[in-house]
Amino acid sequence: MQQLLTTSLTGLTLGMVYAAFALALVLIWRSTRIVNFAQAPMAMITTYVALVVVDAGMSYWIGFVAALLSGLVLGAVIERVVIRPVEGKPEINAIILTLGLFVVIHAVAAIIFGSGFRSFPAPFGLRGFEAGGVTIALTGFAVFTICSVVVVMLLLVALFHHTDVGLKMRASAFNQEVSRMLGVKVTRMLTLGWALAAVVGSLSGLLIAGGNLVYPSYMDSVVVYGFVAAVLGGLDSPVGAVVGGLLLGLGLSFVSGYVGSDLVALASLAILIVVLLVRPAGLFSHATARTV
Amino acid sequence: MSSVAFGSLTGRLRRTPLRRNLIGGLIGLVIVILVLESVSPFRQGQFATMAYLGIAVGGLTVLTGLNGQLSLGHGALMAVGAYTAALMLHNVEKPLPLPVIMLLSVLVTVVVGAVVGVAAARLHGPYIAGATLAMAVAVPGIASFFGDTLGGEQGLSVSTPEAPGWFADAVYFLTAHDITGTKYLAYIGWIGLIISFVLLANLSASRVGRTWRAVRDDEVAAELAGINVGRARVKAFVVSAACAGLAGSVMAMVVRIAAPSGFTLTLSLSLLTAVVLGGLGSLVGALIGAALLTFLPQTVTGLGQSLGLTDLQSAQLAPLVYGLTLVLVILLAPAGLVGTIRNAWRRRQSPDTGSIHPQQEATP
Amino acid sequence: MLDIRDLTTSYGPVKALDGVTFTAPKGKITAVLGANGAGKTTLLRTVSGLIRPDRGSVHLDGQDLARMPAEKMPGLGLAHVPEGRGVITELTVEENLRLGGLGRADRSRPADFDRVYSIFPLLNDRRNAIAHVLSGGERQMLVIGRALMAEPKVLLLDEPSLGLAPRAVAQIFELVRGLAESDGLTVVLVEQNARSALSIADIGVVLNLGRLVAQDEATALAADVKLRHAYLGF
Repeated sequence: MQQLLTTSLTGLTLGMVYAAFALALVLIWRSTRIVNFAQAPMAMITTYVALVVVDAGMSYWIGFVAALLSGLVLGAVIERVVIRPVEGKPEINAIILTLGLFVVIHAVAAIIFGSGFRSFPAPFGLRGFEAGGVTIALTGFAVFTICSVVVVMLLLVALFHHTDVGLKMRASAFNQEVSRMLGVKVTRMLTLGWALAAVVGSLSGLLIAGGNLVYPSYMDSVVVYGFVAAVLGGLDSPVGAVVGGLLLGLGLSFVSGYVGSDLVALASLAILIVVLLVRPAGLFSHATARTV
Repeated sequence: MSSVAFGSLTGRLRRTPLRRNLIGGLIGLVIVILVLESVSPFRQGQFATMAYLGIAVGGLTVLTGLNGQLSLGHGALMAVGAYTAALMLHNVEKPLPLPVIMLLSVLVTVVVGAVVGVAAARLHGPYIAGATLAMAVAVPGIASFFGDTLGGEQGLSVSTPEAPGWFADAVYFLTAHDITGTKYLAYIGWIGLIISFVLLANLSASRVGRTWRAVRDDEVAAELAGINVGRARVKAFVVSAACAGLAGSVMAMVVRIAAPSGFTLTLSLSLLTAVVLGGLGSLVGALIGAALLTFLPQTVTGLGQSLGLTDLQSAQLAPLVYGLTLVLVILLAPAGLVGTIRNAWRRRQSPDTGSIHPQQEATP
Repeated sequence: MLDIRDLTTSYGPVKALDGVTFTAPKGKITAVLGANGAGKTTLLRTVSGLIRPDRGSVHLDGQDLARMPAEKMPGLGLAHVPEGRGVITELTVEENLRLGGLGRADRSRPADFDRVYSIFPLLNDRRNAIAHVLSGGERQMLVIGRALMAEPKVLLLDEPSLGLAPRAVAQIFELVRGLAESDGLTVVLVEQNARSALSIADIGVVLNLGRLVAQDEATALAADVKLRHAYLGF
């Protein structure tokens, strides 16, 4: 019973982070029809920015903000400079391009920051809460993780559904040409979309790093899990990304706890295959028949 | 010889792909012998590496270029081939003959490839990229999980097999040189490469190859023409998996170990870089790509050290170059090096073919 | 008024528009007619900045719009309702309208929903419905309403009657007629259905293979049987 609870809580917390990452992928997919495989190293390198800030003696929160801001800038620059030329071209170009970015950012991080393992602070503590003499596997940091992801999601909902900019961004994602005809600077919206997605990705990076070790490859498996979660929920659906993330987090936590942590990646692959064979459009997608 | 007679000779050669490829293979073999016999053992080792990388890249370029399926998991398939070969060569007194081991590695990888291929057959674009990415990430974990048989983190050590007597004699007869372990592996690798490339070239020129291209270019039209799209894709995947398995088995012998650390995501992405650089679908490009993968790291690392970087940092320069190559090729020359040259050549030959495409949209 | 001079657009070696010149007067409906492939849609798309012309000019209030990008058009007073209507089906009716309003030139006053809702009461009833569920006729009203939200001086309409029942077509056309008269809106109406178009238009312009082959008052064109048979299909 205790293990069931622990596994579930761990899964839920991790699931929130996967949900955030999946959300970042979905944001970019919706606006530019590209799966940004480079999102993982982008998040990784912004976490290193935070690490540099923290190591220089400043508070975690300044590092936190620095990471998010650098994510914003990185996402905007990458879209504008690297991705813009392949938008609208055959999708294989964009895939290879993001993979190339993946490798480049990895190597740059390793050169600048080294390949060694570094520890990363976790605010609010890493000890479980005590309740009636039993320690619940919910740490202060886990609560912070869940809350911050929820806050970000609420902010995004507010942005997209209650602001003019949000409306323009949604319109650009749904129908670029008509949006242009209505006066929307679609290219600017795309840049903004990538910038926001990168911020969300950076948040995931910080949350995964908290209390764990940071090294250039530490986010690599997260891009796989985020992708699986996004596909599970439906690549077009932000709600789906969140639900998919939670489900995947729970599922993988159970695999890790009851089978073996080595097989988690394989389990995610298996889940992906099953989803793509049974319901390729994901749980929450709109009805339009789509080939996968 | 009169020009007419010469023309008909080359014309006859050109007309049968099989004949042309076989002749190409024989010429290649001669070149291989000449080169291997004249270089140092260190270089022979490098050429052995180039051989197995070439096999893997060749298979991948056929899959991606001819059939349009993008795979990031071929490093994992190489791992399957490598571990299979390693299992048969690890602490074994009298190992099976080498061709048998390599064939078995290929077969096992083909089975795995068939399973993955069936799953991948229905996937396009980012979905197949993501699924094969997951595969690449999952492999180290599997090797660790079955640590007892597969050696865990340390991996399985592989003892280099000795050249059989008849082979050593044949080499001495042709070249007046003795055979060393490294040179033997290089020969094995290159013979494997020549055989697989001839097979790939034949497939490419045959009806199967045309089917693959048809599926790549327009699935709906291919279906309407009666092609079983799923089966064609699985076939292509299996063929490329066979190449990866063969490459993996050679790799295990050259590197003398099969360990999870040898099959990282970087390997799969390096293979992809070689494919993109050489031009999707081009076997010649695959060779060029494999050569770059083999010889570039040393040059680049040396450059890094001379620029004052540490050893560890210099080691990162090779992946950096790969990544930049992928990015720059896509941005500047999407047809790859070989493809761009080929297009330029074609355009020179027929200057009047303009393509009708819509006018550029007014950009803000 | 919209002044088009020598407008020429090519797709590669093919000239979709070849030296088209005409003026669409203010407050009047100018019908652009011709067979499929005559260049009618290309004309509208070139005027509204989606396609760049090879040469020529498009003057509105003294400004040449010919090489400006599409995003600038609503701010300059030009609204384009495209072929196929261009409803953003994932947004609600009100969101579509609000989006249209974001493009208006005069941002000192709030967007005028009341006006559009009074012209199209049906949109008011369904303001929170997802646009996907609207019928063809309702969608046509939505996109015209959306264009009006930008307070345009020029309205380009591409085949509004497509896929609509005759009664809906008549309704739409009457509405457009009313807008031209009451607001002084310059309307350029592209239609396959030449007969209906000429019945509400003031001026008619006929294109054939990218060239302008006839230009006259609508009544005169409608009476020219030879012309009708040659280019207009009736």
